[in-house]
Amino acid sequence: MPKKNTVPLAMALAAMASLVAMGTVNAQEKVIKIGQLGVMSGPAASWGLVNRYSAEAHAAMINEAGGWEVDGEKYRIEIVSVDDRNDPRTAIAGAERLIYQEGIKYIIGTNVDDTTQAILPTLAAGGAFAVSYGHTRSLFETPNDNTGLGNIAGYQMSPIIYKFLVEDRGITSVSFIARNDLNGLGNRDAGVEAAKALDLEILSSDATYETGTTDFFPVLSPLVRANPDMLVLSGVAPSDAGLLIRAARELGYTGIISTETAHDAAVLREIAGEAANGFISQGGASTPEIRTPYVEEFMENYESVAGEWNDEAGTKIYALEMILQTISAAGTAAITDVEAFKAVIPDVSLENPFVIGGEPRLRWVGADWFGHPRQVSVPVVVNEFQDGAFKTLVVTSVE
Amino acid sequence: MEQALVNGLVLGMNYGLIALGLTMIFSLMNVLNFAHGQMYVLGGFVTYFALNTLGVPYIVAVLLAVLALAAVGLLFEYALFRPVRKRSNREESTMLLAAGTALLLESLILLFFGEKQRGVPPVASGVFEIGGAFIPASRVLVFFVALAAIILFMMFMRYTRPGRALRAIAQDREVTALQGVNIQAYSALGFMIGAGLAGLAGALLITVLSVNSGMGTSISIKAFIMVMLGGAGVIPGAIIGAFVLGFAEAFGYAFIPSSMTYLLIFVGLIIFLIIRPQGVMGKPWG
Amino acid sequence: MTPTRRKALSFATFALAYLVIVPLVLSGSPYMLGVLSMSAALSVIAMGVWVTFTIGRINLGQAAFALVGGFTAAILTTRFELSFWIALPAAGLVSALVGVVLGLGILRLRGVYFAMITLSLSETMRLALLNGGDFTGGATGITSIPVPGELSLFGLVIIPDFAGSHSHLAFYFLSAFLLLASVVLVWRLMDSRLGRVFASLQQGQELSQSLGINITKYRLIAFGVSCFLAGIGGAFFAATQQSIYPGSFVASDSISFTLYCFLGGLAYVGGPVVGAFLLTLSFQFLHDLQQYQQLAYALIMIGIMMWLPNGLLSLRWPSWGRKTTSPASGETGNVQ
Repeated sequence: MPKKNTVPLAMALAAMASLVAMGTVNAQEKVIKIGQLGVMSGPAASWGLVNRYSAEAHAAMINEAGGWEVDGEKYRIEIVSVDDRNDPRTAIAGAERLIYQEGIKYIIGTNVDDTTQAILPTLAAGGAFAVSYGHTRSLFETPNDNTGLGNIAGYQMSPIIYKFLVEDRGITSVSFIARNDLNGLGNRDAGVEAAKALDLEILSSDATYETGTTDFFPVLSPLVRANPDMLVLSGVAPSDAGLLIRAARELGYTGIISTETAHDAAVLREIAGEAANGFISQGGASTPEIRTPYVEEFMENYESVAGEWNDEAGTKIYALEMILQTISAAGTAAITDVEAFKAVIPDVSLENPFVIGGEPRLRWVGADWFGHPRQVSVPVVVNEFQDGAFKTLVVTSVE
Repeated sequence: MEQALVNGLVLGMNYGLIALGLTMIFSLMNVLNFAHGQMYVLGGFVTYFALNTLGVPYIVAVLLAVLALAAVGLLFEYALFRPVRKRSNREESTMLLAAGTALLLESLILLFFGEKQRGVPPVASGVFEIGGAFIPASRVLVFFVALAAIILFMMFMRYTRPGRALRAIAQDREVTALQGVNIQAYSALGFMIGAGLAGLAGALLITVLSVNSGMGTSISIKAFIMVMLGGAGVIPGAIIGAFVLGFAEAFGYAFIPSSMTYLLIFVGLIIFLIIRPQGVMGKPWG
Repeated sequence: MTPTRRKALSFATFALAYLVIVPLVLSGSPYMLGVLSMSAALSVIAMGVWVTFTIGRINLGQAAFALVGGFTAAILTTRFELSFWIALPAAGLVSALVGVVLGLGILRLRGVYFAMITLSLSETMRLALLNGGDFTGGATGITSIPVPGELSLFGLVIIPDFAGSHSHLAFYFLSAFLLLASVVLVWRLMDSRLGRVFASLQQGQELSQSLGINITKYRLIAFGVSCFLAGIGGAFFAATQQSIYPGSFVASDSISFTLYCFLGGLAYVGGPVVGAFLLTLSFQFLHDLQQYQQLAYALIMIGIMMWLPNGLLSLRWPSWGRKTTSPASGETGNVQ
């Protein structure tokens, strides 16, 4: 049976040959490795996976276009993803793996406050920089110099949303509901402060629900009865938003529902349907009114990586771009030296490739919040859900 | 007040549906099925898949979910639990095996169905208002389907031959075996029914509550509370436990600061179990 | 050579290797040192679960006691500015005290009831700390916990400041010391009269009662030791992470600690240690599987349960962890 044996053998040889060939190509190519550390399993898996898919899709686009240029040389971008299981201990091990085993200096992640807090000493000791999605202000204030904020924090978003709604819709009273954990309660406290600053009447701010709650009727019933003009879902996870909205509407609530976090239109459409009409949330660079063709190409790439587009990824496109642009501005030294990277942070300023018109410009902002510029200038977009898609209401910046 | 009452009732029925399968498996095999929440989630995802990808009617999707989960239950019992029970010389091994299968199911669900929250449109639309309390028609429907399922299940256990055999095994394994009942076959059947009930719960509740790949563990923990409250392995006990939890949650959220609600529920549970370890209806020590 | 001496010898060999050879080989890899430190500290906590197994109880509440220890250490070092070297034993003791007080109520329960009540305890402690207001920091927890400082006695520096350049090695040695000390503690305990009493408690309380043993007292001792170890482990993690939150140890961690004991082998003092290292290391080494990492991890767990239901250590080898009194045949669960 010569035929049966030779075909697989030939194929194996060919595969090996191509592997060797690839190896030699890779050896000649210069590479910048970027780490991605986040929760990619368990109840919060979607947070880290969106980061991972975004980074991979974006890196693939850059590599297809010939790589990323630093001081006239092209580099291939390689994303190394590590799952931290939303556990501080595993996050430390993951950060150490990225920094010491992979020799990585720039990390996208983690997703929440406690894992970012846990890796702060590791970042300082290992001389690495992380663009985090934890929001506590102290994470980005000196002496925590090796962290940047990758999106818009709740305490930045809430005042903008509320101000718009006061002026545009004339709301006067508000109630809050938060998930009973670090993220939810932190965002709620910031929201309460923002509402006080606008002289809104706060009807209720102590409603919380436990992680894993699926039936929101009990917790929402007392809130809806007070009938505020606006119901704020503080720090609500994409998995809970649709259910909360639907439950509130089924309980007869007719006011405005808003949140300061970013959501996915497909999930809202599927779970809340028409009930989600009028839902106000944070939007990324993905709303049709403002996105450039580059973002549309990114969306296609994202789809091929993840299987399906997710509107949350609109804000997650920025982290990798910002890290690479800053490296380019600082020159080759920054690839291995975070100090060189940090030195040019105040000077980086480019047209925003993701937003039509290029404004607000791509730079490091947030000096007012953190004492020094440590926040990616993701445009602040306020969205309204309408018949299955998001409509852009406001585009501004955190400054 | 009226709303809290209605909420508690609806919640209790949903919880009852979830607790039923768990207590079934527990009463038969003394296996605390840690994967129960994941089975529920899988039931929801199978329904979602059947509706959206296969395009079958809802009722067929529900049947598919029940059958798929019964198959998973059979596979687990046959390929995992039975060999481990045979080889291990301690009972807890199966409990930890169940924890392993929970993780296995969860990672498979994440791989196949992705990380997004999934829901299907409610089967019935509209909202009823009864005495100042709101209930959506979809919940009323789920309420009655769940009630019917629970009654059917109890009748099956009481009046059919296999049901009686299952209850006999639950009461005394050795004596039942001596009477010539094929324990192995009935264990497999019990596991299938338990998993199938989890699948049914998922298929029904996805229409009002939706599912995501990671929510299984918190569902399991809630189901454990109900089963402990009512008395481990006693089917009416599980239903009582479910309603107690449902009303505790509904009234807690209505009348005390909600961050304290679950803390007080847990503290209450611990105190109750210290005083009455066998739960409301359980036999002493199980 | 008597079995005890052989055990002592092989333990000494292992301790030497772990304290000298491993750090020498790995001093250039902070990542590996970090993973080993984490495994060692998790072993210490899991060993507590193992001790409660010896009195026939499945303890799914260990996360609660790790939280108590972690928060005690955090509060003592930040609010009262005590040295870590005082806070560490204090964390263990406070945790043990809480355990004994709770144990008075819950240790009467057994089998699945004890497992469930302790699992509820894991959730209760998280929620209680979340509602703890300023005392526990609520949801924002306690951050900026200082690293262990210098420990000196009569002007003689015994342990240098951890803030130096070798903090990885420092934490490695601390975790190694805690691990070895816990193994010796538990091992001595099991070889003593207490260990035999524990084993008899497991065999059935009626028997022990008839022998005139004060069951409650011995159960409380065992549970207290268990909680002490959890508290020590919790304090260690508070110091390495320099932060602690109500969500730092949760119900699923409790389940993991129990899994470590099972996978290593319940009949062996070294069981929880082997289990903790195996699962922690394998999760790290499976990293290249990416999205299949969790799946492979679950399959390893199930595989060991399937083919080595009595634990990895039941593979015969010249073991230092072999216990004299084997509880493997006992009816621990006592669930009918």
